Amino acid sequence: MIPVSPESVQVDFDSGRASLRVRDLDVFDDHDLANSLTQGLGIPSSPISQPGVFPVRAKVSFDVEWNAALATAQIENSAQHFKGSFLSTGATINWSVEQPGFQFQSEEPPLPGRNLISVLGREQNGVFFT
Amino acid sequence: MNKQGLFSWNLLQDKVLSRRKLIRGAAGTALGAGLLPPKLVYAHDANDDNERAACVGPNPIPGGGAPLKPLGIFVHHNPLNAAIPLANINDPSQITDFDGFVGLTNIHGAGTGTDATGATTQLAFRADMGFSKGKFIGTDGRLHKGTFAFV
Repeated sequence: MIPVSPESVQVDFDSGRASLRVRDLDVFDDHDLANSLTQGLGIPSSPISQPGVFPVRAKVSFDVEWNAALATAQIENSAQHFKGSFLSTGATINWSVEQPGFQFQSEEPPLPGRNLISVLGREQNGVFFT
Repeated sequence: MNKQGLFSWNLLQDKVLSRRKLIRGAAGTALGAGLLPPKLVYAHDANDDNERAACVGPNPIPGGGAPLKPLGIFVHHNPLNAAIPLANINDPSQITDFDGFVGLTNIHGAGTGTDATGATTQLAFRADMGFSKGKFIGTDGRLHKGTFAFV
């Protein structure tokens, strides 16, 4: 998890809306998930071998919007020790990145139909699960 | 899809897989791989004492998954699955001992990449992102407030 300013996240849970807005976050472009998880070593073994790629410094900005509750659920999961109120919502994302020699801008305006599944929750877990 | 896209579908797909790297690379940041030095300056304790909480982070949830199972790399994150009813989801939070708001999204899209020569390419991405905002018991065993992005 990356700590961000409290203002970066706005939640209006009762209306099923929230936003995550971050500007110029310093990250490493690790090329892909496997390379990221192996810290640039790639995957050495077959059958899914993949060469390592040296990570590149980059700055990423993104606006993620959760909106319009589609379904609601109250969950109390004693096996995973979490409970709370949860909403399935629509969502959009607008993001961009800059790094030496490359920049990317996602489609504008972001299309609501790109959402696969999104969830908002007001939850308690761990020691707060009682 | 335009004609160029049809002819270069394999190449595009390759670029899609590699250029979604950014958002996946950022996921590596969240997970501790490829990590720039984190500063938990926004995680403050219940009394807004930023200085004492400057080096305090949350603890991860016990659960999660192993996307690279052969390598034994475990990730404390439960990705959303559109095939699973909302009532049956796994804990969407990445941090434990937490009381607050969480958001997760699994979303895809397209955009434009521009290289150093100004040449542009249409690219696709898929993102698994979210946030946690609330109070938590930190690694120091004390109560804190914090806002975190899962990128």
